[in-house]
Amino acid sequence: MDEITGRPDADGHVASVLRTLDPDRDRPTDVLATQHLTVGFGGQAVLRDVTVALPRGTVTAIIGPTGSGKSTFLRTLNRMNDRVRGFERHGDVLLDGESIWSPGQDLLAVRRRVGMLFQRPNPFPMSIRDNVVSGVRAHGIARGKQLDVVAEIRLREVGLWDAVKDRLHGSPYRLSGGQQQLLCLARALAVGPEVLLLDEPTSALDPMSTEAVEALFQTLTPALTLLVVTHNLGQARRLSEATMLFYDGQLAEHGATAQVFGQPRDPRTARYVQGLVG
Amino acid sequence: MWRLGGRVATLVPVGALVFLLAVLAVKAWPAIRVSGWGYLTGSSWLPGSTYGGVEKVHGVTIPVGAHYGAWPLIAGTLQTSAIALVFAVPVSILTAFALTEGLPSRIARPLGFVVEMVAGIPSVIIGLWGVLVLGPFLAHDVYPLIATHIPNVPVLSYFGGSVGYGEGLVTSGLVLGLMIVPIIASTTRDLFLQVPALPQEGARALGMTDAEVARRVTLPWVRSGVIGAAVLGLGRALGETIAVAMVSGSVLGVVSPNLYGTMTTIAATIVSQLDSAATDGTGFAVANLAEAGLLLAGISIAVNLAARAIVRRSGALGAPVGRA
Repeated sequence: MDEITGRPDADGHVASVLRTLDPDRDRPTDVLATQHLTVGFGGQAVLRDVTVALPRGTVTAIIGPTGSGKSTFLRTLNRMNDRVRGFERHGDVLLDGESIWSPGQDLLAVRRRVGMLFQRPNPFPMSIRDNVVSGVRAHGIARGKQLDVVAEIRLREVGLWDAVKDRLHGSPYRLSGGQQQLLCLARALAVGPEVLLLDEPTSALDPMSTEAVEALFQTLTPALTLLVVTHNLGQARRLSEATMLFYDGQLAEHGATAQVFGQPRDPRTARYVQGLVG
Repeated sequence: MWRLGGRVATLVPVGALVFLLAVLAVKAWPAIRVSGWGYLTGSSWLPGSTYGGVEKVHGVTIPVGAHYGAWPLIAGTLQTSAIALVFAVPVSILTAFALTEGLPSRIARPLGFVVEMVAGIPSVIIGLWGVLVLGPFLAHDVYPLIATHIPNVPVLSYFGGSVGYGEGLVTSGLVLGLMIVPIIASTTRDLFLQVPALPQEGARALGMTDAEVARRVTLPWVRSGVIGAAVLGLGRALGETIAVAMVSGSVLGVVSPNLYGTMTTIAATIVSQLDSAATDGTGFAVANLAEAGLLLAGISIAVNLAARAIVRRSGALGAPVGRA
């Protein structure tokens, strides 16, 4: 059975056609990969020897106790840690097979391709519409009237359009927390990222908003690759195909979510997913 | 008892302001009756006969030939303050950015201290430095570079022509600007430190350059506060007396024809003319200085009210300081 068309596909014909149509067919299967990534601040290692590959179009959850290096890992992937005092790194991060630190790589372009959503909503001090298009403007992707179109498309994409269409030029700070986070998601999507890093994106939201945001995440693949740091194990199970568990700066476990939660290989994982620690 | 005391205490500044304006108005009354609106538009500053000859105009006894018009003073006050703001606001914002983000803290900390110390330098010393050092330097080495390249066409010619000897409009404006940079810069620095990191990180994660983060996020976040700081500086510039009296050239009765000409301001005129005005037996000269003072107070109050309106409007997007 072909999973997209729902029809029998015994000879693999549909699959091969789909492959030809796939604009990403000539790119590496793994959009992001780390190789022996070790990160420290001021001589203190926070991440140790992390090697992992993230297949394009998948959702990977990152779980682990506080201080285990989850957020550091995430923030290293779009080079947000580069300017933190005492930042040191060994090993590498490959974006489409190319190091994100290679001389030919433009930092701003890396961040455009690897977007980020933060723990708490962080709208900019400008109108709702300007928030959505701020990145588009900065990268010179669109201008003038096009910006209005971009704003509408992205606000519709995150399901915020009807709520804000009459106050596009109003303050984003009057929106609810959940709406603000959706606005920030629209803003991140507007620059057309390939990977979206989500750092506990719903930890500041109520259950209803969380549900809305989670539902939205699921519509973003396979166009995007998502990496979600979460303390909410239920969320990890609901959202992700693969799960990484960090423990004390090391990647203790990485595998299909069902396996990590069902038959964990590492005893620390077992204790963590059963709620015995963390 | 304490509540009553608190209420009375809040009335003190209000009462002082009202009393001050009332005294000025009473002292200025003869001048207002004689000159009327002509005081605002006239350009002469003539004390009249110094041999005791008097005449009666609108029921007020004044020296023969006395005629006062404050237009050049008003223009000079507004021009110098405008130049000061145009210079000081960008310099202060850049200074604040350098102090909060651009420089390593072991340099930024002592530098911030120096900036605050500059605010405490007596204005007479800055004026002296303006006359002896800054003015001559600008007139010899800077103004000619600008003035000689300006074509003689309307509007632009304001920036050309004779550059004088370093005492005049733009020198006064720059000296005032230097005096208010510490006020605006230290306030702006404190405001920048209050901007939460999260929106700035968000902007960086979106692929904005440092300059874009500053322009689109950090600065808008504190916009109303920066406007407030600028108004604080403007208030100082409008009322600054002695430094301007020293570097303006103190020429009464003319509006400078270009950016470099000699002129004077309301505050500088009051201090430089008070002595000779006291020799006017009819008291008319003092009345005219009082009216000038009343005008200055009016301008300062108007500027503050305008700033409040601007702050309210720019705060419409409501970036709440301390919230992320």
